[in-house]
Amino acid sequence: MTALLSVDNLRVAYADRSGERRAVVDLSFSVEPGEIVALVGESGSGKTATALAIMGILSSNARVGPGSAVRFEGRDLLTLPERELRDLRGRRISMVFQEPAAALNPVMRVGDQVAEVALVHGERSTTRARDQAIAMLDRVGLPDAATRYRAYPHELSGGMRQRVMLAIALLLKPALVIADEPTSALDVTVQAQVLQLLLELQKESQTAVLLITHDLGVVAETCSRALVMKDGRLVEEASVDALFHAPCHDYTRELLAAMPRLVRPRVVA
Amino acid sequence: MNSAVLLSVRGLRVVHRSTGLLARTEQTAVDGVGFDIARGETLALVGESGCGKTTTARAILRLIDADAGTVRYDGKDLLALRGEALRRHRRQMQIVFQDPFTSLNPRHSVGAIVAEGLIVHDIARGAEAEARVARLLEEVGLSVADASRYPHELSGGQRQRVAIARALAVDPEFLVLDEAVSALDVTTQAQVLALLARIRAARSLTCLFIAHNLAVVQQIATSVAVMYEGRIIEQAPAAALFAAPQHPYTRALLDAVPVSDPRDRHVRIPLAGDPVTGRARARGCAFFPRCPHPLKNADCTTAVPPLGEVAAHAFAACIKVHTNLETT
Repeated sequence: MTALLSVDNLRVAYADRSGERRAVVDLSFSVEPGEIVALVGESGSGKTATALAIMGILSSNARVGPGSAVRFEGRDLLTLPERELRDLRGRRISMVFQEPAAALNPVMRVGDQVAEVALVHGERSTTRARDQAIAMLDRVGLPDAATRYRAYPHELSGGMRQRVMLAIALLLKPALVIADEPTSALDVTVQAQVLQLLLELQKESQTAVLLITHDLGVVAETCSRALVMKDGRLVEEASVDALFHAPCHDYTRELLAAMPRLVRPRVVA
Repeated sequence: MNSAVLLSVRGLRVVHRSTGLLARTEQTAVDGVGFDIARGETLALVGESGCGKTTTARAILRLIDADAGTVRYDGKDLLALRGEALRRHRRQMQIVFQDPFTSLNPRHSVGAIVAEGLIVHDIARGAEAEARVARLLEEVGLSVADASRYPHELSGGQRQRVAIARALAVDPEFLVLDEAVSALDVTTQAQVLALLARIRAARSLTCLFIAHNLAVVQQIATSVAVMYEGRIIEQAPAAALFAAPQHPYTRALLDAVPVSDPRDRHVRIPLAGDPVTGRARARGCAFFPRCPHPLKNADCTTAVPPLGEVAAHAFAACIKVHTNLETT
């Protein structure tokens, strides 16, 4: 099987007052079609910089090093003209951010933000785009989707806003979704809802997911393979089962040892 | 009342009021909250955003005003304290906040931050204060040299250690930890939790530990109170609560925690909906709209369920749990 996404020797550095700070160092990994891969690490490990580099949305003070390549469906995203990147974003590759309140446009109705994805990618009929958006909002579990279409982000709860983000990201059934801490800002019962929804949508559209998280519980719950990053470098890559049961790298062992584990009640049926 | 009880809260009620242009709004953030904390115990107050756990702590610390209820500390009526008496009392109860980036004054050195309480409470000055600050920094795993550094030079974990040293400076007997480890990376979180456990034992502290992460709570709490929509809906010794949660909300909350081993993945039915924070509260049980209990019915909507005893020292506010107990 050819990889859907293959990242080779990715280097990202940020310019700051004291010179250059390396955020990602010689990172290589790949994602196969339809798989859910975790990118795990603590603050400053370079996981978000990796996501932004793949999407081509790094801030202007960031620089991608020479020799880096990000191949997606046969094309190198790092050298692709902006116009072609725009065509890919939202259609073949999309992103879900941690803070839906910040990622959504506060002065645009949530339904229009979903419909916009279809309109930007070739849908000519606003009516059809609207119907498609309503159907998707309904699919992600927004109660009374036709009415909620007209809601503004601030009128929705955090969980509902993240459902809207998933609707936007998955509307066109992209080949890859990069989800950057999609449930970290949510309460635990809402996190469980959103993770389950993400898994359902992933299955339905056969989308591959690169799930960026600091939470090993989320990894244990959802992913098949995991990449562990520390200080910009990949320190371990393994199946989730191997990662939890036979970690190779000291840092992975340290993370696992530090992970708060809930000793569960005996389930009474 | 048990003589070992240090903090006793009864019927605590806090209403948030805001005066807008068009209307005044009132929102009852905490309603009828009561619990005891015995000396040396750590009570964890758990629940999701907006359930009232932080408001409860702030009212107890007199950082905000309570609208009703009593708070007794070592027999003394805290809500009646004013002026100098209140100021003197603050030495007994200290707090560590969630975010060490906003809770430390960026213009003060670590030494000045930790020494402030010593000076305000006339405990020590000058060289004596410096020596105490040095001992405190060592106690929380920092070095004496860190006293001259500023918060922005420190990592999140180091800042939280400074916040802990500041709280300990006045030698309190009661510590409120308001999501004190929630903002930290997992390896740092484990270190700070271990530090808190050591300090608690060494100083025989009594703690109110506010958290949303149940796995963390399980590590540190001796008893747990679960809040939902401003009320305590279950309270029990920690071991009992985690082994046999009674209230359907507590069960759902525990079930929603991600597994810690991929081999433990299981099909779960997530709790539907969001807490209806701030909106018109339904009559009766606030959890009713989301409740998955098989026996729930119209009875649940007639009155707010009382926090009734379900086992020794264990209480739950669910009439169906009580019905079940009576019939079996």
